[in-house]
Amino acid sequence: MNIKEDMPAKGGSASGGKNRIKELRAKYNLTQEDLARKAGVRRETIVFLEKGKYNPSLKLAHDIARVLGVKIDDLFIF
Amino acid sequence: MKKDTFRVILMAIISVALLATISLYGYMVISKREVDLGSSIAFIIPLLIVVFMAFFITRRYRDIKQGMPFEDERSKRIMTQAAAKAFYVTLYWLLAISWFEEFFAGMFGVEHLDAGKTVGGGIAGMALAWFAFWFYYNKKLV
Repeated sequence: MNIKEDMPAKGGSASGGKNRIKELRAKYNLTQEDLARKAGVRRETIVFLEKGKYNPSLKLAHDIARVLGVKIDDLFIF
Repeated sequence: MKKDTFRVILMAIISVALLATISLYGYMVISKREVDLGSSIAFIIPLLIVVFMAFFITRRYRDIKQGMPFEDERSKRIMTQAAAKAFYVTLYWLLAISWFEEFFAGMFGVEHLDAGKTVGGGIAGMALAWFAFWFYYNKKLV
């Protein structure tokens, strides 16, 4: 196995780019407030996450993925 | 939730106390006819802090009523980054004040700064730097 090939590109981030939060939120008919409340964060955090302007911690990424019923890999586009 | 509400109430009490203090200070300065640049700055900076606090408290209170936390990992990260940068900038600001005092005060009709004005200028600079960085990081990718 080539470890280098499996590593993300330099400067890559969990959510500095695209993610499917908005799409999955719409699918489950959740508002930003609902998702924020269920994930235990403030609404602004969800707004900035959807815009790709916030890099969440692994814990928050996991919590949001759990609320939306998907894996982290399916939620954030690396 | 109760802890968050208590924190908002505590911040509101501190803001009201600060507003009362600067109102009293403003009244005394005006009644003694001692209005100058220094006293105006000493009035305006705390007033800006109170305005910012009012905005901050209103937002936090609305969020708590909606069942959201007082702070989360993003708001904590913004606070930490703003504080770190403000501390760094303030070191240069304090150096600039001491250099000004050492080399320029007394020249061109500029008065020497006493200890109170120097410390006050340092604290006010740190507060302004913190607010500026808070706004910056609140809009930027963190």
